Amino acid sequence: MKTVQIKTLSYGFLKSIEAFGERPAIEVSGKTLTYAQLFRKAASLAATLSRHQEEIEPPLTAVFAYRSETAFAGVLGALLRGYGYVPMNRMFPPDRTRTMLQRSGCRSMLVDAQSEKQLDQVLEGIDYEMIVVLPEREDVRELEARWPKHRFLGTGELASDEQWRPVKVSPDSIAYLLFTSGSTGIPKGVMVAHRNVRHYIEFMTERFSINHEDRFSQTFDMTFDLSVADMFVAWEQGACVCCPSEKALINPGRFINDAHLTIWFSVPSTAVFMKRLGALKPGTYPSLRVSMFCGEALPVEVAKGWADAAPNSIIENIYGPTELTIACTYYRWDSAQSSLEAEHGVVPIGQPFPGMVSLIVDESLTEVKSGEAGELLMTGPQLSLGYWHDPAKTASAFVRPPGRSVVYYRTGDRVRRPIGNGPMLYLGRVDNQIKILGHRVELGEIEAVVREESGVDGVVALGWPKTPGGAGGVEVFLQTEGPTRRDLKERVAKHLPVYMAPRRYHCLSQFPLNANGKYDRAVLLSILEKNK
Amino acid sequence: MTPHTSQDIQKFLVGRYKDMILNLGLDPVAISPDFDFLERGIIDSLGVLEMITAIEQNFGITVDLEGLDAADLTVLGPLCDYITKTATPTIP
Repeated sequence: MKTVQIKTLSYGFLKSIEAFGERPAIEVSGKTLTYAQLFRKAASLAATLSRHQEEIEPPLTAVFAYRSETAFAGVLGALLRGYGYVPMNRMFPPDRTRTMLQRSGCRSMLVDAQSEKQLDQVLEGIDYEMIVVLPEREDVRELEARWPKHRFLGTGELASDEQWRPVKVSPDSIAYLLFTSGSTGIPKGVMVAHRNVRHYIEFMTERFSINHEDRFSQTFDMTFDLSVADMFVAWEQGACVCCPSEKALINPGRFINDAHLTIWFSVPSTAVFMKRLGALKPGTYPSLRVSMFCGEALPVEVAKGWADAAPNSIIENIYGPTELTIACTYYRWDSAQSSLEAEHGVVPIGQPFPGMVSLIVDESLTEVKSGEAGELLMTGPQLSLGYWHDPAKTASAFVRPPGRSVVYYRTGDRVRRPIGNGPMLYLGRVDNQIKILGHRVELGEIEAVVREESGVDGVVALGWPKTPGGAGGVEVFLQTEGPTRRDLKERVAKHLPVYMAPRRYHCLSQFPLNANGKYDRAVLLSILEKNK
Repeated sequence: MTPHTSQDIQKFLVGRYKDMILNLGLDPVAISPDFDFLERGIIDSLGVLEMITAIEQNFGITVDLEGLDAADLTVLGPLCDYITKTATPTIP
């Protein structure tokens, strides 16, 4: 009896083992694993966790692995144990990974061979016992000697997959805890429940008639929640997830054709990049039947180029913050109609998924008139559980607007309320969040780190240079007379992922102020513009 | 063709990522042409475009990447050699 009746995140995978056990579930690091093989690895990890640790709080396991067998087996292993997973990324600074690990409170982690190199830095200062499972490592004695407080389980200590027993999991419990940039300097953990993500999976699977012959891209790192869609929509119907190496992602076009992909999902920046490489020539990708873009604004020109390059593919622009579970609005590209519906050369974000409800409001959270712009609020079955251990932030973002009986999530995104049945149009942010290559970045978080490391109070971070989807990077202004400490750049970079680390620092003795007496970000931007 | 040599562009790139190269424990002055920005974790796959754009802005050139083998796109020497041979001055 492998099937667990309650529909949790692993439901589709377990169901597919029975019908498609010998079909490929993943291709990663040059290897193919069938559903049966991947299940055995995952079940072994789950049984190992159960054997060495009683039911613990919080019911979460960190997966510190990157584009490897262990990454996929680890995600499933945590879920089969009955826990939610917390993805960690060795491309992030180890300091940040440790902050995420500590904030999550995880008592166990699954680690692959490459990520293991950062283990010493990540474990530094963790003063409670951690169970560290290293399925790719034979000998753990050296680690045990260095870290007597923690327990290390290598290949030899793994339980057999036959020892795994299904665990009953509530659909209301956390399926994954995903950290996103937080405006006060500390990443926030978004708690997504099984029932939230099941809603997404079921809608998308049916919408695109996903079947066992489909081959999905996995362009997203697991610390980006869009990766959940690739894995679990594919596994719902016995399809294969094709995970390219970071190096293979440099040439996405070759990856599409080499892997015979049928389903593509990426940030628009990847398509912009391909256009730049001359990789969007008409008819180049005949195998694609569905192409989805999400994470940042999709330029009309890029959608057009993609439509020519992938003539057999439908193109959808989907939209949604992590707090609303992967994505929650969709727009089907139509070569005749879409250019007319676009605004500022950006493809509309369309309409809410069935079951999801949108509300576009002014500052007092009152609905604006059709045709007017306002902040997008949404609710429905994909409304996540809020922020981990942060009731204050949860209360300010998950609100009950006046006269409404349910809680909505404030996206912070400005959209135009459609007239009639028209699509919603994305217009920008209401705050200082920006997108860098599809990653969501709170400029406030960068400012907090710079303030801490520089000792300077007046700090403004700006997205620069501007790109169609957001910004290419970040530059920082410091309000200070004298020069800053020489190693400031390195010290700041230690706390932030590469895409968030400021590239340049500018010192000004006095910041320009706007009418409200606040630092005038627009004037600072114009300084960057002039110095270009 | 551009008036800039491959060395000029290499120097610019090494300077731009100097801090991160230092963080790897390497000497920026002694970086070899087979240094791979991607493999060393200095940029990710989408960071390539940002890197190319910076070169274009700094040198006032336009780079057509179509003829470059993707494997060489993130490798210091081959990338800069290619740009020197193929880039054209940007028309303002």
